[in-house]
Amino acid sequence: MSTQQAALENLRVIRSLMEKAHIYRAISAPAALVGGVLTTVVSSVFLWRSFLKWSPTISASSFLIAWLGVLAVTTILNVLLLSQDARRRGQSFVSEGMKMAVRSIAPAMVVGGVLGIGLVIYLENFTLATLIWIVCYGLALLSTASFSPRSLTRLGWLFIITGLVLFWIWASNGDIRLLPSDEGPASFAMGLTFGIFHIGYGIAVLFSKKPEPLPAE
Amino acid sequence: MIDFDQIDKTIHEKARLSIMTLLASRGEWSFQDLKAELGMSDGNLITHLRILTAAEFVKEERDDSGTRPRTTYKLTTAGSKAFKSYIDLLESIVKTLKPES
Repeated sequence: MSTQQAALENLRVIRSLMEKAHIYRAISAPAALVGGVLTTVVSSVFLWRSFLKWSPTISASSFLIAWLGVLAVTTILNVLLLSQDARRRGQSFVSEGMKMAVRSIAPAMVVGGVLGIGLVIYLENFTLATLIWIVCYGLALLSTASFSPRSLTRLGWLFIITGLVLFWIWASNGDIRLLPSDEGPASFAMGLTFGIFHIGYGIAVLFSKKPEPLPAE
Repeated sequence: MIDFDQIDKTIHEKARLSIMTLLASRGEWSFQDLKAELGMSDGNLITHLRILTAAEFVKEERDDSGTRPRTTYKLTTAGSKAFKSYIDLLESIVKTLKPES
C-alpha cells in the first residue's frame, strides 16, 4: 500500500470512528422487542373484541390505561437496560448522549401525547389519536437522526410513512371512519406499528454484526 | 514537497490511531468503553494504551472510590496537538494523490 493510499485509509478510519463515537441508541433492542410483543398482545385482544362485536365497547379510560400501561412497562425496561449498559461500560447513565436524545425527542413526544390523550378523553376518537401517536413517535425518532444509528432513523421514517398512509385510508374511507366503535382500526394501527415494527427493529439490531476486532501490534 | 518522515509512527498504527480518534472525539473514555467500541482484547488494548501513555499522548486516571475501580483515559495537550498535526499531514498527502483541478 502506498503512503497516499495508507493516508486515505487512515482518514477513513478516523472519520468512521468519529461518527461512531457520537452515536447514541436511545432505544434498547430487548426493550423494543418486549414492547413490541406487549403491544401486539394488547392490540390483538382489542381487535378480537372488536371482531366479535363484544359489548360494551371499550371505554376511553380503559383504552388509555391499557396503552399507558404498555408504555410505562416498556419505558421502565428501556431505562433499566440503558442504565445496565452504561454501568457495564463504566459510563454515567445520564450521559451527554442521553441528554441530547431527551432534548431532541421531547417536543414531538409532548405534542403527540397531549393531542392523542385529548382526542381519546374528550372526543373518544381512538383512531385519530393512534395515528397522531404514530406520526409524532416517528418524528421524535427522526429528530435524533444526527447522532442515532441508521436503524433508528429508518424506523422513524417507517412510522411516519405508515402513519400518513393509514391516515389517508382512514380519512378517505367512510366505512371505516363511521364504524360504531373505532377500537378495531386503532388497535390494528397500534399493533402494526408499535407492535410489529418494534419486534422487527429489535430482531434486526440483536442480530446485527459486531465491530471487527483490530489487529494486535 | 511533503516529508514523509514527519509521520508520527506512534499514531500511524491502526489500533493506536483508533484509540486516539475516540479520545479526541469525546473528553474521557473508560477502559471498558474503549474495549467495547474497538472490539480489542484486554491485552492488546493495554499494550497500545501503554505506548500512547509513554509517548505522553494519553493520560490515565484511576478512580478507586466506587465499588469497582474505574480507569479512564484522555488525551493530553501534547496528544491533541500531535493528533491534529497527524491529520493535517494525512490531508496534505491525500491532496498529492488527488490534485485539485
